[in-house]
Amino acid sequence: MSGIRITNLRKSFGSYTALRGIDLQVPNGTLLALLGPSGCGKSTTLQLLAGFESPTEGEIWADDVLLSSPRGVLPPERRGISLVFQNYAVWPHKTVAENVAFGLSIRRLPKAEIAERLTRALRTVRLESLRDRYPSELSGGQQQRVALARALVVEPSILLLDEPLSNLDAHLREEMRFEIRQVHDLLGITTVYVTHDQSEALVTADRIAVMKAGAVQQFGTPEDVFERPANAFVARFIGSNNELSGTGEGEGSIRIGDRVLTAPDRSGVARGGSVSLCVRPSKVRLDDDGGLSCNSLPGTIVRSAYLGEHRDVLVDIGEGRTIRAFVPPERRYGPGAVTTVHLPIDACQILAPSA
Amino acid sequence: MGVISTSSRDAESRPVMARVPLVKAAVLGAVILLLALLVVQPFGWVLFNSLHDDATGAWTLNNYARVVRSAELIEPLVNSLILAAATALIAVGIGVPLAWLVSRTDLPFRRTIRVLTLTAFVTPSFIGATGWILLAAPNSGWLNTAWRWLAGEGAGAPLNIYSMAGAIFVCGIYTVPYSFTMVSSALDEMAVELEDAATTLGCGVLRTMVSITIPLAAPAVIASFILSFIQGLTLFGVPAFLLTPTGIPVVTTKLAEFYQLFPPEIYLAAAYCMPLLLVTGALFWMRRRYLGRKQYVTISGKTRAGRQIRLGGWRWPALFLALLMPLLSVFLPYAALLLVSLTRAWGQGLSWENLSLYWYWWAIFGNSETHTAIVNSLVYSTLGATLCVALGTLVAYIVERRLMVGASLLGAVATVPIVIPGIVLSVGFFAAYTRAPLNLYGTPLLLIAAFAATFLPIAYSHGGSILKGIGPELERAARSLGAGEARTFLSITLPLMGGGLVSGWFLVFIPIIRELSVAVFLITPKTNVMTTLIYNAKDGGNYEAVCAMSVLLLLITLFLVAVARPLAGLTGARRTSRKTATAAGVPS
Repeated sequence: MSGIRITNLRKSFGSYTALRGIDLQVPNGTLLALLGPSGCGKSTTLQLLAGFESPTEGEIWADDVLLSSPRGVLPPERRGISLVFQNYAVWPHKTVAENVAFGLSIRRLPKAEIAERLTRALRTVRLESLRDRYPSELSGGQQQRVALARALVVEPSILLLDEPLSNLDAHLREEMRFEIRQVHDLLGITTVYVTHDQSEALVTADRIAVMKAGAVQQFGTPEDVFERPANAFVARFIGSNNELSGTGEGEGSIRIGDRVLTAPDRSGVARGGSVSLCVRPSKVRLDDDGGLSCNSLPGTIVRSAYLGEHRDVLVDIGEGRTIRAFVPPERRYGPGAVTTVHLPIDACQILAPSA
Repeated sequence: MGVISTSSRDAESRPVMARVPLVKAAVLGAVILLLALLVVQPFGWVLFNSLHDDATGAWTLNNYARVVRSAELIEPLVNSLILAAATALIAVGIGVPLAWLVSRTDLPFRRTIRVLTLTAFVTPSFIGATGWILLAAPNSGWLNTAWRWLAGEGAGAPLNIYSMAGAIFVCGIYTVPYSFTMVSSALDEMAVELEDAATTLGCGVLRTMVSITIPLAAPAVIASFILSFIQGLTLFGVPAFLLTPTGIPVVTTKLAEFYQLFPPEIYLAAAYCMPLLLVTGALFWMRRRYLGRKQYVTISGKTRAGRQIRLGGWRWPALFLALLMPLLSVFLPYAALLLVSLTRAWGQGLSWENLSLYWYWWAIFGNSETHTAIVNSLVYSTLGATLCVALGTLVAYIVERRLMVGASLLGAVATVPIVIPGIVLSVGFFAAYTRAPLNLYGTPLLLIAAFAATFLPIAYSHGGSILKGIGPELERAARSLGAGEARTFLSITLPLMGGGLVSGWFLVFIPIIRELSVAVFLITPKTNVMTTLIYNAKDGGNYEAVCAMSVLLLLITLFLVAVARPLAGLTGARRTSRKTATAAGVPS
């Protein structure tokens, strides 16, 4: 196994720049999630890691082996990096066993060892009974496990997962998340996991790199990116978020319309620059006065939706701005009711728009 | 413990480079060389020759000047255009209504009509012309005889197949299947929802047809018109059989004439190819442009059976009209050929004593010339189709997976023969391979290469469409597990292409075995094939033998078509369910 070091990685396709210089360090045995909306460059990063594309600039290292640089690229078959594809890419003309054993036979291992490792891999993903089936006879989840077994059986030094769960139904997806994490804990392979689903990233990853427009917005632990987002984009992308944009007033204040609100300032933006005040809907309180220090604003209820575990209330605070609040489900609000919105200062953050 | 076996290097920042991929380089080199030999070179020689003087070998524009100035050379051009336009009109005028009847109405025996149209499709038109000579030759033609029997001895002979009208008729009925197939598949693939949407908005059956169905099928109709036009322009066999005897020249037969002169006017012939190339090239360009803009041709939804239009009382009259086509293009000429081939001596009339399989025995075993031609046809077609599919598939792979810089140029080269009429390609191959150092004249290799080159565009586009259905992830998965490019191609891509390649092989084999115009200048007595033998023998007057050979060729072709369809579907059916292949092909 090896750690990954990516330095100043850039990739352009003609006039389109997919990656604008990213730096990432993935320690040996870590599970890194590359998280971002489509077109953010996460899949390009994965293709570069796998060796299917060559970088325009920058380098990729596995420990002290240089894998990719603009001067040359170690071909995919010589990297020891396994890849699990979004659509599984299970070969339809090979049985489950043939699929999984392919990488082993490429390595010309003795027959006995191939058989032994194959059986072990199939057992790990609970597919022993299906070994002679063809992929067309398997469900999506089973094909997914074939792809995983095929990638793991060759004992790669790095495992890449490209949106591995996005083709599964919601229920199965939730289950497979934990399974992937479990396999990682068991084998400890350095893993890069590409996803656009924040909850997948939060559940599985040791580290998350949030990407947007070819640049890393934030690189940190799941707690970091959720609780201390580096900018308004990250706050918006991970979890639900209220964002009020305005201008920095300095010393932890932000001017929004004709109001000035206070919050811890982590924007690093000079006074007068454009910043946003971000607060999670779950922290927003309505009506009651908890006695905490809050930014309090008058508002009118626009709509209220009952979601079982909480009530999702949208409040108009004037000047075309709204605030979403998750409040206890037993509290009822009718549209048009007048209320007061409290934004606890500790839960608010003043952030720059994006990197 | 890593699997990376490469020893780690010090900070010298250069990746451990791949070995020079020797296999890949060799394959790419071979493909480029073959394309140069099969396409670039022959075509280049045509161009080169057209600019040189026959006698002195000096550069000159004289050949072109002669083409433009001489009325004798303009006339065939005009005749060709007339033939082409009339052919296209017949093809579209009959093919489109027929397609609509079969695809959209409750016409009885729709499947039968489809099968019969396919039969006409694979019938070489020069064999159809042979059949029609028996049916409608002035005076002696059976239909003329029948007419005299009906209308009295003095009625004369109304039909003369040896005329422009005759040639147009034969070209037309054998081109109908082209427009029929294109338009009916457009109608079949059209999403029914598009029509249903109109119906739910209150559109009647007729209104829906006029404002939705017909406009949606229009691109296919126009494309089939252009294709039929090209067909009429480039056909060689039919005008050679029907127009040459009456002295009406067209471009293709005029080209053949240059080769029969002594000394042959090869350089003038080269220049004379250019107007033909110009027209076909322009037509293909138009078709491409037109289809490129009308992207909606390919719009298709769930293709369930469309709503059928009830013909009511028109069912049977419509069936009668629909059966007229197979009657003219299949039943009558096939019957004529079959009857003549089964008589010992046609001149003695039809009687039980005169019926025999003698000429079949003669063609297959008795006569060494025909025996050789049959064997040659089978061997050359097999090898030619194999070479063609192998090369076309490799080019398609290189293009689809962008294995080299300028890959799309290779694709363009592989597509070029589609605009080159067979007779022009024949001129090119003659020019390229009858001189040192590549003098292949008289060898089977020359014909095999020419056949492969002619149908390379089919193999290439077929290979490309198969590859488009195989997601690159399937290959990348193999690469990331340690398989090199060659290994990946052999163990993943090729098996996945399997069934498609088999059908592609037949798709090439069938037109090769019935191809006449490409072979016509390239054969020698030793390398004669069935088509050229029929072409050369029909002047000899031995009609029984010609018919027997024609029927044999038809039987081989029809047999192969019958075998090819289920076979292509069968290969790998158990393993590769279509569903998974497409599911795996979904781009991320």
